[in-house]
Amino acid sequence: MAKLVKHDEGEVFDIELEENILKANEDAAAKNRELLRKHGIKAIDIMGSIGSGKTSLIELLVQKLKGKYRIAVFNGDLTTTIDADRVARHGVEVVQINTGKECHLDANLIAKALDGTNLDKLDLIIIENVGNLICPGEFRLGADERLVVISVTEGPYMVLKHPFIFMEADVVVINKIDLSQAMGVEFEKLRNDVNKVNAKAKVVGTSCRTGTGISEVVEALQIDNLRRQ
Amino acid sequence: MHELSMANSIIETVLNEAKKRNAKSVLEVNLVVGKFAMLGTEQLRYCYGLLVKGTPLEKSKLRIEGEEGRVRCEACNFEGPIHLEQEPEYHIMYPTLQCPKCGGTVEMVGGRNCFIKSVKLRA
Repeated sequence: MAKLVKHDEGEVFDIELEENILKANEDAAAKNRELLRKHGIKAIDIMGSIGSGKTSLIELLVQKLKGKYRIAVFNGDLTTTIDADRVARHGVEVVQINTGKECHLDANLIAKALDGTNLDKLDLIIIENVGNLICPGEFRLGADERLVVISVTEGPYMVLKHPFIFMEADVVVINKIDLSQAMGVEFEKLRNDVNKVNAKAKVVGTSCRTGTGISEVVEALQIDNLRRQ
Repeated sequence: MHELSMANSIIETVLNEAKKRNAKSVLEVNLVVGKFAMLGTEQLRYCYGLLVKGTPLEKSKLRIEGEEGRVRCEACNFEGPIHLEQEPEYHIMYPTLQCPKCGGTVEMVGGRNCFIKSVKLRA
């Protein structure tokens, strides 16, 4: 039996802890990833600024892929089911995750959403994170690919002002390129900024209004040819 | 932006530890926050101060140590501080995942953590 040493009343003692506060989320993310892999599901975490076109992009991806794969979409927002309702019109399973006050989704919320979903009937899960270029980057969810959406209407500084989230990205979508000229913001400039921070990220210019670039997004996410289970 | 919930997790973890060890109060909490974790230490301190009221942590001192960003390159085995690039147009420095040695893409291996290193308790 271990020797027990007790402290005297009022005695001061130091405890080494090394207790990692962020690790709890990393562990939950690894569990989600394992669960998804077991069911042969590919998951994509879509992050991005407010109003950059995350939901529009998801609607187009769903339209393009729903004949090919069984898809579910998890929509994260502080409140309302506006986004979920928009996506549900396309006839795929939709789960609205309301974070209340939190500025990001976390792996625990995704675990809860996965728990209420029939994973045997899915090939692809698209997760729409809360609109925010700061916090979501820090909390991995267990997705295979992380995509960040920004748009030219947010001006030319979005990437270099928020380098951390772009360091996390596998794919970056620069949306509303049809408005590029009117905004005086060049796609090439934003693409260069992304690649300066993270040369591995694939950058695609899109217009969700016209449908430009959606095939390239599918290709960049490597979901053009998912193996059906 | 999520400093309040982080402060809450920190306090909960410390309270558990204090309870486990029958401590009456917490004198000191030594926290390490990565410079690349999206946590503002100023806000973290503020939230901590709000949340410890009426708990055994009320009089505790929160010490925060920064952790530098560290990267590792798979291609050339470089390991060291993250490279900062200067943007002359806007006069800003930004971090990049470019390997300072071979120009390849590096992985971050440090500077994104937030952990409680140690606590000082009073029995």
